[in-house]
Amino acid sequence: MADTPTLLTGETKAGDWRNYERVILPPIKDLHKIEVYEDHGGYDALRAVVKDGKFDPKGLTDEVKASGLRGRGGAGFSTGLKWSFMPPVDPEKPRYLCCNGDESEPGTFKDRQIFEYNPHLMIEGIVLACYAMTIKTCYLYIRGEYIDYVHHVQKAVDEAYAKGYVGKNVLGTDFSTDIVVHWGAGAYICGEETSLMNSLEGKRAYPRIKPPFPAQAGCWGMPTTINNVETLADVPLIVNRGAEWFASIGPEKHTGPVLYGISGHVNRPGVYEYPTGMLITDLLEIAGGARGGKRIKAVVPGGSSTPPLTWDMAEPATMDAETLREAGSSMGTAGLCFLDEDTDMVSFTRRIAHFYHHESCGQCTPCRDGTGWLEKLLTRIDEGEGYTRDLGLLLELCDQMEGRTVCALADAAAWPVRWGIRRFRDEFEAKCKAAAFAGASLGDGSALETGELTPTGTPTT
Amino acid sequence: MTPNSFISPQPAYVPGEPVERHVADEELVWTEDEQQQIAAFRAQYPTHDGAVMKGLWLAQDKFGWLPPEVIQFVAETLEIPYAKVYGVATFYTQYFKEQKGQFVLDVCTCFSCQVCGGYDILHYLEDQLGITKGETTDGGLFTIQEAECLGACGSAPMLQVTNGPYVHNLTTEKVDALLADLRAGNMPGFQSVTLPQDEDELGGNRRSDTDAVTTYQTPPVSETLH
Repeated sequence: MADTPTLLTGETKAGDWRNYERVILPPIKDLHKIEVYEDHGGYDALRAVVKDGKFDPKGLTDEVKASGLRGRGGAGFSTGLKWSFMPPVDPEKPRYLCCNGDESEPGTFKDRQIFEYNPHLMIEGIVLACYAMTIKTCYLYIRGEYIDYVHHVQKAVDEAYAKGYVGKNVLGTDFSTDIVVHWGAGAYICGEETSLMNSLEGKRAYPRIKPPFPAQAGCWGMPTTINNVETLADVPLIVNRGAEWFASIGPEKHTGPVLYGISGHVNRPGVYEYPTGMLITDLLEIAGGARGGKRIKAVVPGGSSTPPLTWDMAEPATMDAETLREAGSSMGTAGLCFLDEDTDMVSFTRRIAHFYHHESCGQCTPCRDGTGWLEKLLTRIDEGEGYTRDLGLLLELCDQMEGRTVCALADAAAWPVRWGIRRFRDEFEAKCKAAAFAGASLGDGSALETGELTPTGTPTT
Repeated sequence: MTPNSFISPQPAYVPGEPVERHVADEELVWTEDEQQQIAAFRAQYPTHDGAVMKGLWLAQDKFGWLPPEVIQFVAETLEIPYAKVYGVATFYTQYFKEQKGQFVLDVCTCFSCQVCGGYDILHYLEDQLGITKGETTDGGLFTIQEAECLGACGSAPMLQVTNGPYVHNLTTEKVDALLADLRAGNMPGFQSVTLPQDEDELGGNRRSDTDAVTTYQTPPVSETLH
């Protein structure tokens, strides 16, 4: 490891971000209206590709690959590479694109801004992606809670149909594609790609075992690609300005503009668009600094499932996958939650555990039962009824959950607990009773109290 | 917890006795518009099953909630087994499997809201309405629920009214005003939250067709967590 230079330099990798000009949400009034969008170069990328033949499908995939665009939904997988996994066209088999707008990760609220303020960019991206993979149907999956935004998006889709950008013979060419807006009904798990497909098919949204991967057998058993809303919104930008331009933004391995959703104890929360590789401290400054002049104690860099960082760890870190991995967390959805010095990390972790317990689909035992036990143990500690031994029990439980389930929900539930305990152990211990376990000696010859662990996790006294 | 609590709960009906029904048979019909809507939904998916979620939403909008007979009705409409539709209806939290109040207040308390006073708002509502979360007021006007992340973390604390509009940047005064509005029968409309960068560069919200506009604000200090 000694030869690898550290990425945690404390210097920004976003270049001259103070003079950054927004591209996903450019400062244009009424950009959600199709006329305004067209006036500002909207659907030019689509025209150039589909009509004027700027790229053939393979060329477009290669261009996206060359841009270094990585999925914005959490996993950060190369988008161009994902597209290239689609098998060759078989006229017998329909192929599908799913645009994932389920956005249920706590701390994330960026896709909503695209639905509301620039839906046509996403629609253009969808049609381009369909062209690159020769797909005739795209399902746009939006979470059920966003019903108001579903209406906004549906309106935009209807406008795009009316103008011939979507539908039969796009812009008068042979290429046709349809967009179907689908909305969920309140299940976090639908953001997972295989459960999203089950949800679309009208089943209970249980994740599927991979392989087969969606590119082989996805929706209705047909080749399918699933991309995040923000990922697809980047595609027209790449076509218009070129892969080189895109690759020049942010650090080499994780390029492009990103919507940072900033929440928590800051003066000016909200969604900000900047390049990748922003220093977390710069993002705090942008968001108006800590509320009430407090000191920031911890930051969750990318939604609830990314491990929380202490402020010391976060200070030299920038917002890109490689650096955050070295810092001990991950990029996730770039939804940052800042926590000030008064935050109770035990209650905070307990609330995350409650979320995952509520949202576990119940398909795999380690997750269904594990998330419940995490919550019970954390509740007990939070209420002052826990013992220091419970912390070891929690870590052991995390071992039993990670990597033992069909999807990554169990991992996502275990990480914040594991790293919360590792990084804020003092706070957890301070809330535990002095004894290691019920009835243990305190060292001065007295037993704290009698009691046994029961299956419900409540000590009987 | 009693030892027997691990045994399945008693069925709500006695075999052989007629099941309690909430919607009469003659009400279980679609209007012409709704039939067209369903036909359109079906055409969007390669199988009938695909239209289940939209069908259930349509039924919930029509009947207010989804008792078994309504689920059966959706199943018959889409020509798929009852068990499948029941499975879908019970998987998602936004489908109401029991009768709720006229206004369902989903208060977000997930972590961003938690650290910004989501629980203060929840407890304030509980005090104001004299019920606890999960319960409905006597007149059947309000139900309070604790919701998981609703995706409005920047404008925390917030709530959603009956699977519809969001109410952002809540304070106790705003809750009072909201309750008064709802009691008068006024459902809040869609509210647009201005991007902070738009405020700087455009001097306000970019959408000129939305009247209800708010901005991201410094969240309040949470009483329950500090």
